[in-house]
Amino acid sequence: MSIMSYNGGGVVAMKGKNCVAIACDLRLGVSQYNTIATDFEKVFQFGPHLFCGLPGLATDTLTVKDKLRFRLNMYELKEDRKMSPQVFTSMLSNLLYERRFGPYFIEPVIAGLDPKTGEPYVASMDLIGCPEKPEDFVVSGTCGPQLYGMCEALYEPDQGPEDLFETISQALVNACDRDAISGWGGVVYIIEKDKITRKTLKTRMD
Amino acid sequence: MAGVYAVERPPSGFNFENCRRNKSLIEMGFQPPRAQKTGTTIVGALFKDFVVLGADTRATSDSIVADKNCDKIHYLAKNMYCCGAGTAADTVMTTDMIRSQLELHRMMTKRQPRVVTANRMLKQLLFRYHGQIGAALVLGGFDVDGPHLYTVAPHGSTDKSPYTTMGSGSLAAMSVLEQRWRPNLTEDEAKQLVRDAVAGGVFNDLGSGSHVDLCVIKKDKVDYMRPYDIANVKGVKQGKYVYPRGTTGVLTTRVIPLVVESEEVKKVSGEAMDTSA
Amino acid sequence: MTSVTVLSQKLFDDYGAPVAFEEEVSTGTTILACEYEGGVMIAADSRTSTGSYVANRAADKLSRVTDYIYCCRSGSAGDTQAILEMVAYQMDFYRNENNEEPTVEIVAAAFQDICYRYRDQLVAGILVAGWDKVKGGQVFSIPLGGMLIRQKFAMSGSGSTFIFGFTDSNFKENMTEEECKNFLTRAVGLAISRDGSSGGVIRLGSINQKGITRQMIKFSEISDTILAPAN
Repeated sequence: MSIMSYNGGGVVAMKGKNCVAIACDLRLGVSQYNTIATDFEKVFQFGPHLFCGLPGLATDTLTVKDKLRFRLNMYELKEDRKMSPQVFTSMLSNLLYERRFGPYFIEPVIAGLDPKTGEPYVASMDLIGCPEKPEDFVVSGTCGPQLYGMCEALYEPDQGPEDLFETISQALVNACDRDAISGWGGVVYIIEKDKITRKTLKTRMD
Repeated sequence: MAGVYAVERPPSGFNFENCRRNKSLIEMGFQPPRAQKTGTTIVGALFKDFVVLGADTRATSDSIVADKNCDKIHYLAKNMYCCGAGTAADTVMTTDMIRSQLELHRMMTKRQPRVVTANRMLKQLLFRYHGQIGAALVLGGFDVDGPHLYTVAPHGSTDKSPYTTMGSGSLAAMSVLEQRWRPNLTEDEAKQLVRDAVAGGVFNDLGSGSHVDLCVIKKDKVDYMRPYDIANVKGVKQGKYVYPRGTTGVLTTRVIPLVVESEEVKKVSGEAMDTSA
Repeated sequence: MTSVTVLSQKLFDDYGAPVAFEEEVSTGTTILACEYEGGVMIAADSRTSTGSYVANRAADKLSRVTDYIYCCRSGSAGDTQAILEMVAYQMDFYRNENNEEPTVEIVAAAFQDICYRYRDQLVAGILVAGWDKVKGGQVFSIPLGGMLIRQKFAMSGSGSTFIFGFTDSNFKENMTEEECKNFLTRAVGLAISRDGSSGGVIRLGSINQKGITRQMIKFSEISDTILAPAN
């Protein structure tokens, strides 16, 4: 069994028009098939317009979340300004690459709006911090392969928040249906300039 | 330990705190994941008064295409670029590190950095890690001594050659270069040659794919063409799979309004810092 | 001397970190160095390989340490280049500090110092050849474990194993420059024709009190003559 599929779960993020969406499932398993929680969120808020999903080994999800929060707080105290998603990506990338020879087993996904320009931003990276910044969507986690398929088919550029919600939700729900160790509910965040909308999804519970 | 009150600055360099844990996890029978590789074709070719670098744009992790349009020609200095193959994070981080060192070197010496300098820095960094940093690089640039092209292998060995290629598609690309490289090609012929060499990798090596990026470095001028050639286009969808609003079953909705408390625009005067990349 | 080091076929190491499993670039190599009347001559093939792939078919394994002292490199390309650059730096320093050219003995000792100290981590077989005012042309051999020995004629690399018979029967002391060139060219040619890890062109360098004279001979130019028995 791969360390990456010990706990299961997936995250996806998509760019829209003046908005971004990031979504994750809620399952937490151990030894793959033993479900021990169905309220384990893998996406965390790091700023008004900044979210980061950390699917992979759950212990590292929590450790890296705390380390990121610490480094982000230090940055914002020292610099007296909000961190942009680009800087956040570099910071996380450096945090992971520092452990190049003893990595954290997570593959992060970042979604946010630029605090100055409001430009949508998504990025992802591998477990040793190689950043990838595509124009459309990023996926990660045990249902990553399924999510790739869903997103390649469903993604349309320049969708508004309502349509983007449907697209990302359907991508997540249908990908999780074909991954035994993802699913059991989902959470979607739609990030717009003036509001964050958090929706929990009704999904299969098997 | 300073404790929670005064936080220590983290030491620089690699951190090995997870190694013991990861080793025991692996000994328990868990398979560690694979990092993203750039199963790449990168090419460099040297001519009389310019050097051409080329790369495909596919990044893979295992057999999944992780990035369909990734950037493999990395900026080192105004007169220098570097193509990377191997473990993607290693190529990015290695070139980033050398880029910052070169910039400091430039500011200290008040001279345009030379390609040999970058080559030395790269090989000394890679040699220190005995091939553990999996970066295979093609370094090209133009300095006071004219155009230069170097190949840097992961173990820290370097070659100075008139044409070179690295990555999994290097065999396909090298066959093109061996047949058609000539020292006095025109710029258009040179670009076509490097494109064809990269395309050889794109179409015959499964680890390479998508488009061809090119970078022509001349005296005082760099032409960075991304993409130079869109070798593979995604099929155009005839319809749209747009779900009507309300398709997805929603359990709860919470809207968190964000109030913009203040907006501040500061005009920066004086010379702006050069952060061009 | 076998010189191909396969790092690992695994995708990760014992600590879960992804490893680069590219094979090491090695100079498969035939290298020779020989004293002649008034100087030394060095010779090498020009092939470097990673596994079965020829990484460079026109490599230069005759590397400058000072204007009068060169070395021939065999083994891991990364290791030998790193050692060379360290020694060349030390020798530049030596020249500036003492205002004189280092002797071949000093250069050879500098190589040995590194090769012996890190003998467990390095794969390097080096021949040091050069000319100095004290002892004229000299050849030193530093094989894998970091031993240092002066020889009138030395060779190293995978290709050298094929030509011991030839060199034993054809080497003479105090050859003329022309005789020496003929001897080394034929030796490298024969090694290239039998050793898969050696190939490309034959590179020659003749070092005497005037400095170095370098030459490159295509294998095709000599292939039909070297295989014929000596008259």
